[in-house]
Amino acid sequence: MSSEQAFDAALDLLRRLDPNRLEEHLQNLIQLEPSLAEDLLSSVDTPLQVKRDSKSSHREYLCCDYNRDIDSHRSPWSNEYFPELSAEDLKESPFPSESLRELEVLANDSFDIYRDLYYEGGISSVYLWELDEENPQDYAGVVLFKKGDQSLSNWDSIHVVEAIHAGQDVTYRLTSTIILYLDKAKQMTLSGNLTRQTEKKAIIPAEGSLEHRNVAEVTNLGTLVEDVEIQMRTMLESVYFEKTRDIFHETRNSTGSIEGQNKEAHQEIIKGIQGM
Amino acid sequence: MSSAFESIVSRVISDTPSGEIKEVYQDLITIAGENSQNVILEAIEQYNIKNTIPVDVNGSNVILSSYNKEGSKFFDPAQSIIFSVDHLNRKGLDIAPYQGSELKEIQQGYLQELNKYVEKNFTGQASVAVYPIPQEESKTAIVIVSTKYNPGNFWNGAWKSEYVYDSRLKQLKGFIDVQVHYYEDGNVSFKSRKDVEIADSESPIKSIQQVETEFESNLDVSFTELNERQFKQLRRRLPITRSRVNWGKAIGNYRLGRDAAQGKPPQA
Repeated sequence: MSSEQAFDAALDLLRRLDPNRLEEHLQNLIQLEPSLAEDLLSSVDTPLQVKRDSKSSHREYLCCDYNRDIDSHRSPWSNEYFPELSAEDLKESPFPSESLRELEVLANDSFDIYRDLYYEGGISSVYLWELDEENPQDYAGVVLFKKGDQSLSNWDSIHVVEAIHAGQDVTYRLTSTIILYLDKAKQMTLSGNLTRQTEKKAIIPAEGSLEHRNVAEVTNLGTLVEDVEIQMRTMLESVYFEKTRDIFHETRNSTGSIEGQNKEAHQEIIKGIQGM
Repeated sequence: MSSAFESIVSRVISDTPSGEIKEVYQDLITIAGENSQNVILEAIEQYNIKNTIPVDVNGSNVILSSYNKEGSKFFDPAQSIIFSVDHLNRKGLDIAPYQGSELKEIQQGYLQELNKYVEKNFTGQASVAVYPIPQEESKTAIVIVSTKYNPGNFWNGAWKSEYVYDSRLKQLKGFIDVQVHYYEDGNVSFKSRKDVEIADSESPIKSIQQVETEFESNLDVSFTELNERQFKQLRRRLPITRSRVNWGKAIGNYRLGRDAAQGKPPQA
């Protein structure tokens, strides 16, 4: 069996098994086939972990595979790894270049304001990294948000972005996953994740200072993430609260059965009229 | 096969939505290889019994459970037959007559009443069972399963309720278990379970109808409440200004505005 087939089968399994136990099943599959570990851990989004930055007033930041080195995670606030790494390990640790770090600082500051406006609480973090040395303007990154009280409700947004520049034109490729968990005092749980991909072209004026270009980058990225989150929030609302309820009533319906039949009959009538 | 392997397979199988067992079987074979087939099939058999899965026996649905298991075979007291089961394909095979278990008159009455109730209130592919419990004369097992599978549109739904009625104590005990799986562009699961215990039930089917109808309308209320409260508190549809964020150099003004409103001095 090729490893690619095994990887696809593992991804298929993970979208079938209880999303609320995703991390446990991820470990199960890795035990079954240890060679899948690296690919699975880097391509499956799991709920974000929170750490505190002891060099920046113990401010909280978000952790995922993209800001991890060994068992430490880089903070967007102080740009340091916690728990602290040995000087030896640090020589090998990934950091953004000085100019990319400037963009990262601006992005963190702007998305922190966005977080406050939409989430009214929660945590945000942005991490950027170079794609290749020959095109220093190109970069990839991840924009993260987390809000919740852990036990009854939790929201994690994970936006992985790639920005490819060609002159003034920039193509942004965004893969967004939102992991949403809701629990009503153990009577019912709604949990899971939805993913969508978006591509958008935008312009960064070639002239102007680095600071100007950075503001334009963050404006493009911010507008894109905001658009996608607004759409995905609507999608989540419809899947979680309408779609699953409708499917439930496909198994039992004693209260609204007549209503449902009427609706179907209406749709038939409308179709009939449209067909004339 | 090691027991660690068996325990992983069993954890994966036991967490599978009831309409997706074949796909999960295939995925496990792809990852663990053909020689793991027996371990996986063994786990699926356990799953079918524990989850009271209906199988197709000559065109009629018979629910599998610990109550109608005889060695490696299963029987249906309503039809007086015994059969073996292809657990992966959910089919009854080698059907033979069987007199080892019969429904008493009162249990035949439950079955008729149950069929009527289920026909009126369940919209999915519904199956029911009324099984005597060996060595416990006054007890009857009652099971309802209703499923709607729509893999073409990436969703599956399953209702299951299982009770034991004690006609001597007039006691009904059991649970309702509901699962919905939606997996287009993601993996969303809705689950609800309710334990039922009714102390003074003269008629088990009437009690079941009452408790299940109440469960259904409570769920509708819960969906609305989860949406109105928890979900809305996680993320706003739009900022309080009712307009999208004004990105760019001036974005810091939001912070100035908020700090001013809270009486904080502007940050340097």
